[in-house]
Amino acid sequence: MSRAVIPFATQAAALGVALALPAVVGANSYALFVATQLGIYIIAAIGLNLLAGYAGQVSLGHAAFVAIGAYSVALLTVDHQWPFWAAAVVGMVLAAALGVLAALPAFRLNTWYFAFITLAFALVFEKMIVEWRWLTKGFAGVVGVPPPSAFGYEFGPRPLYYTVVAVTIIAFILVRNVVHSRFGRAFVAVRDVEPAALAVGASPQRTKLVAFVMSAALAGIAGAFFAVQKTVVTPDDFTADFSIFFLLTVVLGGLGTLWGPIIGALVFFLIPELLAGLQSWRMLIYGGMLLGLMLFAPHGLYGALRQVWRRFAGPSPRASAAAEASEAREHPPIAGLALAISGLRKQFGGVQALDGVDLSVPAGSCCAIVGPNGSGKTTLLNLASGYYVPDAGSVKIGDVEALGSGAQWIAARGVGRTFQTPRLVADLTALDNVMLGAYTRERAGLLSTALRLPFARAEARRLRQEALGFLQFVGVADRADVEAGEIPHGQQRLIEIARAMIGGARLILLDEPAAGLSMSELERLERLIMRICGLGATIVIVEHHLDLVANVASHVTVLDRGTVLAAGKPAAVFNDGRVMRAYMGERALKAGVPA
Amino acid sequence: MDIDVLAHGIVAGSLYALVAVSFNILYRPTNVFNFAQGELVMLGAMIFASLTSLAGMPWLVAFAGTLVTVGCIGLVEERIAVAPILARSQTGTGWVITTLATSLIISNLVGRFWGPDPILVKPPALLSMDSLDIGSSRISSYEIALVLVTLVLVAIVERVYRTLKGKAVMAVAEDREAALLRGIDPGSLGRWSFFLGAAFAAMTGVLAAPILYASTSLGPDLLLKGFAAAAVGSIGNNRGALIAGYVIGVTEAVGAALLSPGYQEAVIFIVVLAMLLLKPEGLFGSPNARTV
Repeated sequence: MSRAVIPFATQAAALGVALALPAVVGANSYALFVATQLGIYIIAAIGLNLLAGYAGQVSLGHAAFVAIGAYSVALLTVDHQWPFWAAAVVGMVLAAALGVLAALPAFRLNTWYFAFITLAFALVFEKMIVEWRWLTKGFAGVVGVPPPSAFGYEFGPRPLYYTVVAVTIIAFILVRNVVHSRFGRAFVAVRDVEPAALAVGASPQRTKLVAFVMSAALAGIAGAFFAVQKTVVTPDDFTADFSIFFLLTVVLGGLGTLWGPIIGALVFFLIPELLAGLQSWRMLIYGGMLLGLMLFAPHGLYGALRQVWRRFAGPSPRASAAAEASEAREHPPIAGLALAISGLRKQFGGVQALDGVDLSVPAGSCCAIVGPNGSGKTTLLNLASGYYVPDAGSVKIGDVEALGSGAQWIAARGVGRTFQTPRLVADLTALDNVMLGAYTRERAGLLSTALRLPFARAEARRLRQEALGFLQFVGVADRADVEAGEIPHGQQRLIEIARAMIGGARLILLDEPAAGLSMSELERLERLIMRICGLGATIVIVEHHLDLVANVASHVTVLDRGTVLAAGKPAAVFNDGRVMRAYMGERALKAGVPA
Repeated sequence: MDIDVLAHGIVAGSLYALVAVSFNILYRPTNVFNFAQGELVMLGAMIFASLTSLAGMPWLVAFAGTLVTVGCIGLVEERIAVAPILARSQTGTGWVITTLATSLIISNLVGRFWGPDPILVKPPALLSMDSLDIGSSRISSYEIALVLVTLVLVAIVERVYRTLKGKAVMAVAEDREAALLRGIDPGSLGRWSFFLGAAFAAMTGVLAAPILYASTSLGPDLLLKGFAAAAVGSIGNNRGALIAGYVIGVTEAVGAALLSPGYQEAVIFIVVLAMLLLKPEGLFGSPNARTV
C-alpha cells in the first residue's frame, strides 16, 4: 500500500479544482449539478471500495443501501417535515441496520454468499418499494424533496455542492485512517489469508461486519444527498443496473486502493458523454469492462498508474522504515503458558488422525513433536490452536480449558503460531504484517481510529516502534518496507514468529519452521528459538529436522499414526528402537544408521 | 390450504432444485459458484425455443443441440472468465465479479438477439400443458412429468458421483493439491464440470420453458431461487438441493396465496435468511473443517 503514487501536489490541485468549480460555473448550471452528483457517487463508491476492495466482500446490491438513505430523507422531509440532517442520520442508520440484518448469516459463510444475499436483498427491496405504495408512493415516487437548510437559511445548489464536497472529503479521510489502522490490516488479512486473521485473534465475522456497517452507512449518506439533489425519488433510480454501476466504478478505479473510487467515478462521468450514442449497449459494455478489468487490470486504473509510476520512478524514495529501526532493545521476559493435552482424538472421514494423544508442556519449556509424515503432528497443532474441533479430549492452556473455543479466542489468550507454509498477507509490508499481530492488544476503537484521536495516534506510533523492534529481534529489520509476497520463504517464517510475539504470545506453536531453510538460516532460527525460550515463553515445535530438535528441545514427543510412540529427553528418545523403526524403517535400522 | 398451491409449489420447486444441482455440478471440483448460471438456464430455454418453435426441429434433436451449445458456452466461460482468475489466486473471489460480468454479457446479447417478447414452447409429444382434473387440482401432465424427471435426474447425478470419476471430483473439491498428486487433473475436471454444469442448466431451461415461457427475464429469477435451494440444501448436496427446492417452491406458492404475489421474493428471502442464520451450512451439511 504505497501512498506516493498520486503526489501531494496533484491531490491539492484536485481539491482546488473541486472547491473553485462553483465560482467558474453558474449556480444553476448543468456542470454544477453533475459535479454534485459525482460527489454523491464518490461517497457511495468509497464505501463499496472499503467493503469489496479491502475486506473482499463484494456487494452486488449497493443501490439498495443508497435507496434506503434516499427514501428515508424523502419520506421524512416531505411527509413528516423533518429537517434534512436528522432524516439523513436516520437514513444512514437504517441503511446500516437493514444491511446488517440481511447480511448477518453471510458473514459466517463463504464470501460469495454475501454477494448473493446482497443481490437478493436489492431485488427484494426494489420490489418492496413498489409493493408498499402506502409508504413509498409506488412507481410515482416521492416528489418535491426540500433542500437542506441550516439556521433558517435554505441551501441552494452552491452550498449543497460544498456540503457534498465536504462530506466526500470527510468520508475519504475517515476511510483512509481506518484502512491504515489495525482494522485495515485485519480487512486485508480476512480477504487474503483468513488463517492469519485467526492466528492474530481477529474475528473474520466481526471484521467483515465492521467493513459492511461503514460501507452501508456511507451508501445511506450518499442516498440522503441523492434525494435532496434530485428532489424526486422513484424506484427506477435504484435498479440492479445501478448496483452494477457502483461495482464497475470501483473496479475501474482500482479495488482496494484509496484513490480508486474517485478515479473510477471521475472517468465514469466522462464516459457516458462519449457513449451517448451507445445507450442501449450500456450494460453490455459494463459487463465487458468488468470482465476485462478483472482479467487484465485487477487493480484498475490506479493499479495501472502505479505500475507506470514504479517503472519510471524506480524504488520508492520514501524514507525507509528500516532506517528507523533503533538499536536492538532488551526484550522484556515472557511469562510462559503451560499446555496440557489429554486423550485428544480427531477423525477425518475414515482416517483416525489422532487417537488419544497426551502431551504435557510445562510453562517456559521447549517441547518438540516429531514423527513421520501423516502421524498427526500438524493436526495436533491445529487442534491445540482451535483451527480444528476435536472429537474428544482436553486441551488446557494455562489452567483454562480451551477445547471448542474458536481459533481467534485461543490466539487472544496468548497462543501464537506459525504455519507450515507461511501465512503472511502478501499485499502488506513486513512491518504491517508484524503490526497485524498486535490486533488484540490495541485499545483504540473504530471511532477513535477513524478520527485519529491523539491517543490512537500515540498507540499506533508506539506499536510501529515495537514492531520494528520485533523485526530486528528476529533479524529481518532490513525488510520492514518490503511487501511480504516479495520476501524469501525463510524470512517469511521469521516474520511469522515476530507476528506471534508482538501479539503477546506466551505459548508459541511452530509448525515445521526449518522446512526449506538454508544452513545459515537454520542456525539463525536455532539461535532465535533459544532466545525466545530464554525469555520464558513456552514453545511447541513440530519439526523433521532432528538436529535442530536435539539442540533446542528439552522434551520430545514422537507421534506415529496418531498415537504417542515415545516421549522423554531427546537423547533417550532418539535412541529408542521403536522410534528409529518408525522413522527409518526396519532395513535402515539393521544396517545401523546412526540417529 | 389448497392442494393446488402445494402441487404448483412442488413443480416450481423441482425447477429450483434442478438449477441448484447445476450449481453443485459446477461447484464441486472448482469451488466456484457461477453467477451466470441463471443466464445459462435462460439461454437454454431461448435456444431450444428457437430451434423447435421457430426452426421446427424435432424435440430430441433440438434438445441435444441446445445442451451441447450451452455446454460449450459454459466451457468458454471457464476458459475466459474463471480459469485465469483461479490461476492467479485459489482463494480470491475475483470470479464473483467475472462470472457476474459474464451473466451481464449473455443476458444483454440474448436480449439484443431475441428481443424482450417471451416465446411459447410446446411440451414434447404425448404431454400437454392442459390441466388434468384430478380432484380439485389443476395440474398438467407435463408438470407431473417434470416432477418425475427431476427425481430421476437427481438420482442419476448422485449415481455418477459414486463412480470413479465422481470420486475424483470429490477429491478435488476436498484438496486440490492432494488430488493433483494422485494423478487427477483439476484443470480438466474444472473444464468438464463447467461444460456439464452449463449443459445441465440448459436442460433446466428446456424443461422450464413450457411452463415459464422462454424469455430473457428467466435468468435473474432462477439464479436467485436456485442459489436459495443450493444454500438451504447445503452446497454440493444434490438430495439436499431437491428437498430445499421443494421447500422454497412451496413457501413461495403459499406466500403468494396468503399475501399478495408481490411478496413472493420477500417471503423466500426471509425464509432463506432465517435458515442460514440457524444452520449456516444448510439443512443437510456438516460444518467444514478448516485446512491449514
